[in-house]
Amino acid sequence: MMEKLYLIARIADTRVALRSRAINSVVTVGTPVHVPAAPPHVAGLFALRSRVFTLIDPHVVIGLPPVAVAPGQRVIVVDVADHGYALLADAIEDVCFIDAPETRVTGRLLPGWARVADAMIEHEGASLLVVDPSHFITLPVAKAA
Amino acid sequence: MGRANTVMDDLLNDFLAETAEILAEAGGALVAWEADPADRAQLDAIFRLVHTIKGSSGFLSLPRVTALSHAAEDALDQVRRGNRAANAALVTAVLAIIDRLSLLCAALGTTGKEPQGDDSDVIGALAVVDDGPAAKVAPAETVAAPSDEEINAELQSWRSIRVPLPLLDSVMTGVTDIVLARNEFARLLRESGADASVIASFDRLSDSIAGMRQSVSQMRMQRIDKLFSPLPRIVRDLAQDFGKKIRFSTSGGEVELDREMMENIRDPLIHIVRNAIDHGIENLDERVAVGKGITASIDVSARQSGNQIEIVVRDDGRGLSPDALVAKAISARVIGAAEAKALTPREKLDLIFRPGFSTAAKVTSISGRGVGMDIVKANLEKIGGVVELRNEEGRGLTIVLRVPMTLTIISGLMVRASGQYFAIPRGSVREILLETSDSVRIDRVGGGELATVRGEQFPLLRLEHVLGSEIDASEDQDDRAIILVRPGQGHSYALSVAAIHDHEELVIKPAAPMIMATGLYAGTTLPDNGRPVLLLDVQGLLAAAGVDASEAGRSHDASAEAAAEAAAARNAAQLLLFRDVGGRTRGVRLSVIERVEEVPASALFESAGVVQAQIGADIFAVHAAVVPSGPEAVKLLRLHDGHSVLCYPIDAVIDIVRLPDAVQPAPAPGLIAGVVLIGGEPVELIDPFWLMAQYGAGQAPSLQRQPLCRLSDDADGWADNFLAPILRHAGYRVISGGEAVEGERPDVQLYLADGPVAPVAGDVPLVRLRSSVAATGPDDDSIYRYDRGALLEALRIRVAGAS
Repeated sequence: MMEKLYLIARIADTRVALRSRAINSVVTVGTPVHVPAAPPHVAGLFALRSRVFTLIDPHVVIGLPPVAVAPGQRVIVVDVADHGYALLADAIEDVCFIDAPETRVTGRLLPGWARVADAMIEHEGASLLVVDPSHFITLPVAKAA
Repeated sequence: MGRANTVMDDLLNDFLAETAEILAEAGGALVAWEADPADRAQLDAIFRLVHTIKGSSGFLSLPRVTALSHAAEDALDQVRRGNRAANAALVTAVLAIIDRLSLLCAALGTTGKEPQGDDSDVIGALAVVDDGPAAKVAPAETVAAPSDEEINAELQSWRSIRVPLPLLDSVMTGVTDIVLARNEFARLLRESGADASVIASFDRLSDSIAGMRQSVSQMRMQRIDKLFSPLPRIVRDLAQDFGKKIRFSTSGGEVELDREMMENIRDPLIHIVRNAIDHGIENLDERVAVGKGITASIDVSARQSGNQIEIVVRDDGRGLSPDALVAKAISARVIGAAEAKALTPREKLDLIFRPGFSTAAKVTSISGRGVGMDIVKANLEKIGGVVELRNEEGRGLTIVLRVPMTLTIISGLMVRASGQYFAIPRGSVREILLETSDSVRIDRVGGGELATVRGEQFPLLRLEHVLGSEIDASEDQDDRAIILVRPGQGHSYALSVAAIHDHEELVIKPAAPMIMATGLYAGTTLPDNGRPVLLLDVQGLLAAAGVDASEAGRSHDASAEAAAEAAAARNAAQLLLFRDVGGRTRGVRLSVIERVEEVPASALFESAGVVQAQIGADIFAVHAAVVPSGPEAVKLLRLHDGHSVLCYPIDAVIDIVRLPDAVQPAPAPGLIAGVVLIGGEPVELIDPFWLMAQYGAGQAPSLQRQPLCRLSDDADGWADNFLAPILRHAGYRVISGGEAVEGERPDVQLYLADGPVAPVAGDVPLVRLRSSVAATGPDDDSIYRYDRGALLEALRIRVAGAS
């Protein structure tokens, strides 16, 4: 059953589906702590239940300009390689079961999206990209250099 | 019954945990003992360890374990009593028993039962190597073997209990949470303005919490020895597999490290050591060829520097070749050719950390097991550590692992810069001063800043600049403070910050890898106010600022001196020790050896009474009376005097040592120039001068450019048939008539007619030959064509004059 459970959210100005088992929780953040000299997609640090999480701005990963974090903004908390991260979400829509199968990505995506998208899925008459949150943690190599 | 089972299980678990530890320790001790069989203390230690296993296994009725440990104990006891010699074969046999015991324990751990099986092979091996009562290794009469009671008393002396690791971990997590809760509580108390009695009792609670976390931290600390103990065994076995000689040493084993850190470093460390043996250390012959000692060295050391532990693995092998790494990375499709061009030397070295790099080209059974340096790096980053390469191409590679000493709690100083708080480990702070203080003077020197505190100068870093942000103009400039930071021995600098906040006990957690990768931060922490704070890496700040912070000029001079000394040592005459085919140990100056060659016996043949060897396309004289018989390959030392080559057959290369000053010369010139004492043993010194003289220079083709000789006017073919072979033998290249070598002018020309000199193109020196013995007159400078000596001399003079 869990395999069919998806979180529908709007990140980097795009509606996407995230597999629920990849997600730790969805929370709200206050003002994050800035990390000087960090890579551009690091939006800062924040604490949650005595753990420190690194806030990631998906806009930068996709190749868009960064957006400021609004107090009370919702973030998607994930664990990647024993470190806690949170993806800034423009909006959290729903958690729902989607019975439709995941299909191969058809059509040409922007390079930024092509790197993070795993598959596509049909939901309520719309095609959504299924993205892997762990792909947002690292920047494309060319960009980092 | 169930109850009894649980008790048995507990006992078994205790036995397994204890035995695993003992086996690891015994492996290392055995290797050390092998290196020095006279070391009585090592032998006793190993005996005790095996004895302990035998004792506990008997109690648990594990017949195979008991039989194995009994056999090993027995053999070792024979050695202790002086009835048996300690040799490599015995050590190998005992190591085989230890391996079998490890296997059995692993099986016990998974199934809870001792598996069926036969151990007579390994036990038998112990008996086979027994070569009867041999020379006594240690004076058994003088040292009375300790009785069993003594051994048991010794075991009692370190009384301890075993605690399951998960329990210890949960205690640690609990204490960490208590500290965080206390910090939160302290903030609430301050804000609520609680009365003095509440604050006093809170302070008492606070103190005991501090004491408790100290004890818990210590509980989790282990000596880094534990990490090092399996290494000698690994090095020994691998060195044997590869036929390399390696001197392995460890130091700093007393440094303590958090248990969890230790777990995370274990595999990376083993991998790095394996890599060093497999890829770093050259083969014996290769080492000789580049003038290094036969015995390579690998050194693993640990030291504490601030709140970090530095583990250094140093080898004296070939080091990394940046260009070879790039080539390998391109062929493994790790990077593209275009990207490769843009790499800096450092980035080229860092290629070894790219995923997929180590699975390329050379996969050996040892290194290529899917664990690459990328995994090593990831493992270290997971715990907030860093890997650093110090490469000296051709001279060796040093890999430095730097890990935080503990994941737990340090005392930190909170500072402010650009309106944000940062923490600095209190341990590396030497002094704190206000920038406006009278004892501080700040000078701008050539774009940099210098702080002079009571006559002592420090490079000044402004935290905002290092972090790449702006100094907040709204902050009060009078608050600016200078922190004198000493990140490690012999280094210090002044760090200017906007303000000093306070001291706090901080629970440090590693930050995400991309934040650690900036090199500026050592971790994150959550202080009282619940907002994360970054812990600054005081060493990393220095690196980011690119400032040389070594104290005074002393350390520079010292390193220059050391380098000069090392160079002098390299320049000192070195002696290659070898065993000749007669089994004698002899030596020859290393500088006359061009290389050590291994050729099949079939490459040697006898011709004109001289043994010769065909190596590639060349033929060299060999110093041997007869062609060695037998199918095996022959090792040849290639002696080279800058002109010609002579091969000297040997059995094996032994070592490279410094040539002692005192040489006892031989009474008459000959193959042996004299005798020297190496390590108390007389060694015959080969005289390369005499040796070369025996095989005249003409015997071997010169390696320098061979002069080109043109034979002209050779109508009857005499020159081609009679003269050319002699000339070629003497090291000339010969062309006749109108032939030409592209791009080269003949060095000399031979003219064969008995008449006036034919005009020649250019100004090639000329030697004229005549057929008659007698010269035609006083002006006749021609040479009788069968006067070999005069002819060669004339050629030599002309060629030398031309060049």
